[in-house]
Amino acid sequence: MPEYLETRVDKFTFKVATDRLYNAEGIWAKVEGKLVRVGLSDFVQQRSGDVAFAEVKPAGVVVTFNDEVAVIETIKVNFSLGSPVTGKVVEVNPTMSTMPEAINQDPYESGWLAVIEATDWELDQSRLLKPQAYFEKMKLEAEQEVKKG
Amino acid sequence: MTGQKDQPKVVIVPCSGIGKTYGTVSREAAYDITEDLRPDDTQLVALSMLVLGNESARSAIAGNPAITIDGCKLACASKMVKESGGRVAQEIAVLDVYRRYKQFKPQGIAELNEGGQKLAQALAEEIAVTIDSLVSEKKGGQNG
Repeated sequence: MPEYLETRVDKFTFKVATDRLYNAEGIWAKVEGKLVRVGLSDFVQQRSGDVAFAEVKPAGVVVTFNDEVAVIETIKVNFSLGSPVTGKVVEVNPTMSTMPEAINQDPYESGWLAVIEATDWELDQSRLLKPQAYFEKMKLEAEQEVKKG
Repeated sequence: MTGQKDQPKVVIVPCSGIGKTYGTVSREAAYDITEDLRPDDTQLVALSMLVLGNESARSAIAGNPAITIDGCKLACASKMVKESGGRVAQEIAVLDVYRRYKQFKPQGIAELNEGGQKLAQALAEEIAVTIDSLVSEKKGGQNG
């Protein structure tokens, strides 16, 4: 189980897992040997609402940093997720086709999207945010959202 | 005498989310059922009346099975019926139904787009099947 940084904004509590890195859009990347598991942050899933469909690029597809790795449709919005890593998709979470609400229920564990075989993780990780940096960015965005109402 | 009062009823309680597309779908489906598809077998109860503790609404759900239609995972309709002492015969989440009818993407709030209207109709037709089964159970119970 990962440890979390946690903040409360208005009536919402947001968690940031500390064992992975994040891109600016809140897509996390967790290194596992030569592979990198990716998924959505708690903030992104809460802000976007209940997930209706998650279409992840299938195994074998090569994605480059920030290129679309998945498209998510929620009750509020449709949005494209940029990959936080360059490499080949080697596994897609099978739950995404049957129970995509796992993203809402457990964004950092069972709600993962894909596993990517990174081609240059050293470069990719230098472009990602550490948990504390993402936490501060996320907190600011959450406060701005609340102000907007 | 078997007047309207003795007719077995299924209570339909939709989401009360105003300004939410999926809430609107739930209410449109509820109107389709109670006004067009199964008007004699159903009674529409507004969630807000249960929240306010309205006696007539509470009495309707106390004596009849309820079908709740929730617009989001907060499931206010289902929770409120249970908290008011009612029996939920079927809990339906609009999102789960939409996953089966991906071609009917609902949009709009006050007025649903065509996809939303079709989704509401599909939802209403599914619920009508459940109503038929509940009514026949209830009639069987009354006759037996």
